[in-house]
Amino acid sequence: MRAVWQLWLQPCRQLLVGALLLQLMWLVAAILLGCVPAVGAGIAGVAAMLLGFGAWFWFTMLGMCLRGLCRPESFLLPDFRKRLATAGALQAAQWAGLPALAALLMGVPHAVAGGAGILLLASVGLAASSARYINLLVWGLFVLAGWQPGLASQLANALLASPWVVPLALLLAALIVRLSLRAMLRIEDQEPGASPLENVQLGRSRARALDGTPVRRGKLARYIAALFDNTSQRAMERALACYRAKPTWRLRMVLVRRLLLPHDNPQAIALRLVLVAAIVAFYVLAVMHRQHFNAVAVGAYAILLGLARFPQLGRGMRQMRPNLADLYLTLAPSTRADYQQTLIDALVVLVPITVLGTVAYTGLGIVLTHAAEPVRMLVDAAIVSMGASLTALAVHLIGPEGGFGRGMVDLLVTLGGMAVYWGGYWLLGTLGLAFGGAILLLVTLGFGLGVWTSARREYLRRPPSFDAPLA
Amino acid sequence: MSTLITLPPFADGRTGPVLRVAGLRKSFKQREVLRGIDWEVPSGRVIGLLGRNGAGKTTLLRCLLGLSPIDAGTVELFGEAMIEPGGERMHRIGFVPQTFDLFPWMKVRAYLDFTAAFYARWNHALAARLLGDWELDPKQKIGELSQGQRQKLAIVRAIAPGPDLLVLDEPVASLDPQARRAFMAELLALMKAPGKTVIFSTHITADLERADADITLLRDGAIQFTRPLAELRERLHRAVLVRDGGWPHAPVVAGLLKATLKDDEAQLLVEDADPQSLQALAAREGATLRIETPTLEDLFVELA
Repeated sequence: MRAVWQLWLQPCRQLLVGALLLQLMWLVAAILLGCVPAVGAGIAGVAAMLLGFGAWFWFTMLGMCLRGLCRPESFLLPDFRKRLATAGALQAAQWAGLPALAALLMGVPHAVAGGAGILLLASVGLAASSARYINLLVWGLFVLAGWQPGLASQLANALLASPWVVPLALLLAALIVRLSLRAMLRIEDQEPGASPLENVQLGRSRARALDGTPVRRGKLARYIAALFDNTSQRAMERALACYRAKPTWRLRMVLVRRLLLPHDNPQAIALRLVLVAAIVAFYVLAVMHRQHFNAVAVGAYAILLGLARFPQLGRGMRQMRPNLADLYLTLAPSTRADYQQTLIDALVVLVPITVLGTVAYTGLGIVLTHAAEPVRMLVDAAIVSMGASLTALAVHLIGPEGGFGRGMVDLLVTLGGMAVYWGGYWLLGTLGLAFGGAILLLVTLGFGLGVWTSARREYLRRPPSFDAPLA
Repeated sequence: MSTLITLPPFADGRTGPVLRVAGLRKSFKQREVLRGIDWEVPSGRVIGLLGRNGAGKTTLLRCLLGLSPIDAGTVELFGEAMIEPGGERMHRIGFVPQTFDLFPWMKVRAYLDFTAAFYARWNHALAARLLGDWELDPKQKIGELSQGQRQKLAIVRAIAPGPDLLVLDEPVASLDPQARRAFMAELLALMKAPGKTVIFSTHITADLERADADITLLRDGAIQFTRPLAELRERLHRAVLVRDGGWPHAPVVAGLLKATLKDDEAQLLVEDADPQSLQALAAREGATLRIETPTLEDLFVELA
């Protein structure tokens, strides 16, 4: 049982706060169930809601933890699968079996159906974090229900009234669990990486999730990644050819940009815009059924998408750091500050790229949601994204080293940018486009430039770092 | 020039094999990495698996343990077919992967506790001693360890259950010399117990010499030979012929495995060299003769 206990502990070890809150939720539900004889069966509904909600979250967390644990080497642990199954069964018993049994003994109506429903929710939670395709299928059902709510409601009522509801729920839960576990327990047949003695890769292609597992990519994702890589390769070759023909400072800078920001060449930017536009259009048209959002939500979402590039850049640059020694030697700068300045000059191109992207996303949002004041939204998005991208870049230059700190700062910048968009929209509406725009420009650009200048000065003062980041 | 050695089978009556592989084939997409491996590993020996980069050593070891599905052939571990990891025999196997990048969120102590819980026999004292000797902080997260420290942890994790079969995939590549020596000492101590077998893939041939290993050479996706190191040393020699004017053609002699011509020298790797034949060859070619016993590294360079 020691191994089962260790497996049970994993969610607590990885996600302590969430695990404690959910266990607390279970405890509250158990107490509520205990009150049924005194208060009446009505309170069991609240307990069931808490248990259903908790089971969904708990099993989502469990899936995340297990995905990290189920690595090929783990399967060498004696009876790993059997103990995993025991741990899973015990947790299913905790969240669904025991409460349903208790409710049944206390004469609560629909106790078994409630237990089966909780089990189904738990299985959906497990699929959410471990089996993307199953999860898509489940959410696909919700999307379909959104399209035809009347029909969905009729179907749900018929199912609930049917005596088959419990076996159906159990069967569906078993199927989802089986498919989720199959994905998780499959041994990936990947060609082994290079020996540590010869491993000098950048690590771009060996991206890892937060739990340390290699990111699994489907065929479409691999195809899109290959498209980006091909455009980057072509852009690099073009830059190299141009520089060889005419070695100017500008072309040299283009070359450095192609190395540091391989996916920020014109073709790749266009490709990214098209892809995001396609996904957003699908989401708005198919999932949200083209609801009318207000302008603030559309613009804020565009800001979010535009700034999403910076956290990626932060991670990529940290991964690339050891390899930047090559760039340092190739550039052969007179001083270390010259090298840092070159990096800054290369990276600053992200500001116009972000502005362009944000304006494009806002434009798309305007078209999709029939926004009432498109010009006001576009002006607001352009001005705010300029200031926000300068701030994000500044943060990237001198921000915290640790993943958590950097994540928090990125979150702050993004939320701040979205909030400023909201304020800017109000300002433009109150003071007019010209006057309000001028004030907004003054404030956001002033702030952005101030932060950027200070960060630039600090960055130039620091020695360049070529140390590999800690995992 | 052929470098294939066909040596006779073992004749010292060792016990049955821990591992038996027949006709093992493995491809990744269109590339065939293992092309019909036939291999037997007897109990109670250290096997040094040698091969160039990309020869398929890691793939072979992963296939043996069921961590990579095979396309054809059979693998038997402890007398049972190995299709995927599982069963009681997992208690008897220890594995150190080429790169240890598991569970970055776990602390060292938590990782060892987690692993120990699965094993019937886990030597807590040995694990604690090795952690101390190798200065691994039990409170540190695995993600914060250097590659070498992770490798040490992987070794602790593999040795502590007292496995009967230890499979090591380049275990010392990231270790400092002190840790490498300590690891070899532990390995040799482990081997003192009867019935312990180690399969050890490495490029550091000195370690194999220290462990007096049997050498298995993997080349072109196939096992070329498995022989005790002492036997290889005894039977393989290098004849160096020197003459002015160089060598338009490689000289031929019985048992010749490989000839390397460079300037005035012809270096011949010869199996079961007959000194008289070599003397006769030298006289015929008008060259001086020097016979050397190659090191394991020399042999690897010549044969791999």
